[in-house]
Amino acid sequence: MSRARNIPSDRGLTLRMFTTGLMLVLLYGAVIGLLIAFGINYAVVLVFAAIILFVQYWFSDKIALFGMHGKIVTPEQAPQLHGVIDRLCALADMKKPRVAIADTDVPNAFATGRSPNSAVVCATSGLMRRLDESELEAVLSHELSHVAHRDVAVMTIASFLGMVAGMITRIMLWTGLMGGFGGGGRGNNQGGNDNAALVELLVLAVSVVVYAISFLLTMALSRYRELAADRSGALLTGRPSALASALVKVTGEMSRIPTRDLRSSESFNAFYFTPAIAKSGVSLSTLFSTHPTLEKRLAQLATIEAQLGRPS
Amino acid sequence: MGLLNTLLGRSKPVQSDLDALFALPSASITLQSAAGLVCSGRAGVCFKPPSGQGFEEMQAEVVKLLAMDDASGFHKAEDSYGYHWLVIEDADIEELVTRVHLVNSSLSDSGWGPQLLCSVFGIAPVDSTGTAAAAEPDPDLVPDPTAPMPEPTAGPGHVLASTAYLVYLFKRGTFYPFVPTGHEQRDMEQELKLKSLVADDLTVEPDLDRWFPLWELPVG
Repeated sequence: MSRARNIPSDRGLTLRMFTTGLMLVLLYGAVIGLLIAFGINYAVVLVFAAIILFVQYWFSDKIALFGMHGKIVTPEQAPQLHGVIDRLCALADMKKPRVAIADTDVPNAFATGRSPNSAVVCATSGLMRRLDESELEAVLSHELSHVAHRDVAVMTIASFLGMVAGMITRIMLWTGLMGGFGGGGRGNNQGGNDNAALVELLVLAVSVVVYAISFLLTMALSRYRELAADRSGALLTGRPSALASALVKVTGEMSRIPTRDLRSSESFNAFYFTPAIAKSGVSLSTLFSTHPTLEKRLAQLATIEAQLGRPS
Repeated sequence: MGLLNTLLGRSKPVQSDLDALFALPSASITLQSAAGLVCSGRAGVCFKPPSGQGFEEMQAEVVKLLAMDDASGFHKAEDSYGYHWLVIEDADIEELVTRVHLVNSSLSDSGWGPQLLCSVFGIAPVDSTGTAAAAEPDPDLVPDPTAPMPEPTAGPGHVLASTAYLVYLFKRGTFYPFVPTGHEQRDMEQELKLKSLVADDLTVEPDLDRWFPLWELPVG
């Protein structure tokens, strides 16, 4: 929606994001249909998953801050950081989120919180030390875009199905391993339960497939959301190149840091600037990652830079 | 539109209400009669300069427009957050507002509205018009008794020791008062007093979270 600045909105990105979302919705519908056809055996699992995700969503700010040891800072404690965020929020006309600093050398930043009203933007001390002012501003505007796009809510909903399918798969495998298919947990009347065994195998197969597909879709959606946040963030500051140089700096530092230290920050419901887990550069891995490749992000920023540079 | 924007992960530029600026002269009259404060004759338009030739050209055009009038001065400034300021000087408040409006509207009309952050108007005690920048922050709020006061003030504490500012938030179309008192210190009490004074004339920003501090303003 940047028509105001003669920059066309990225139709392709919008379309891909829409298609991914649509496929997720279709998958949801298909699975719910199947469950109804099977007589809703898994209502308990559904409710259980819903509760877990709801807790994750509702307390996303607290969980992420706790996990990263982030501390909310007042304007007096961090006037520079607050000043940058104040201005960016006024520029974007959004409510100012709470500001936190995580005292770790890993250069990263994340945004979390269920809604713009309870959002937290957190930068690590390692990030603030390594980046110059305009780069830090670019990273923060990327995080603020996540807040404005309500990415925590969107991704929580999107990952619901994958979580349910994953849980069903695991439950099936456990009961299958412990009692044999068809016999698990239902007493051991041997005769005439071939049918039930078949049904359970089918459910297992379906949930594995659903799990795989929804995982891929969720990852794809996550990558598109990252690209969208890069785009909005770059347009907000008007300096795509600052975001690009921050990306290059942070990604370079990230890959040099041992993976083991970073595991602890892997699965929080928060939107990191760059993934904390360094993935090996196999082409298949791009399908399984939450963030687009550096090349892709830099290419998008270069395009925006070129559009900004065009005389009006 | 809100839900669609959420689903598609995009944000929409805000349309501003620049007409709100024209309420300033009447607010200035209120301030003068109620608290002995006048416009310091200086105002600044703050924006985030994007990279690229397009904005440079537009800025040059605006500067040319401003230079056409020799009755009032202007200069460019840059602050420590990487924002640029066009500081305009004009003793006449009506004229000043018109020029600030001109800068804002020509930038936003040519599509650079998203880069505009705010416009700031200095207000100062009646006796120190134009020299407010040099004023030392004084903990004692009572003004110099020898200074000529055109009208009795509404009460003690309504008179500022140093320069105060009215900040116009471009994206909100609202104003808020800002009273810095030294190094990264602001006088919230004075700000709230000023707010109550101008509340009838100006649209005051209702959300106090958005009254962000602007330290080291290049606007005197």
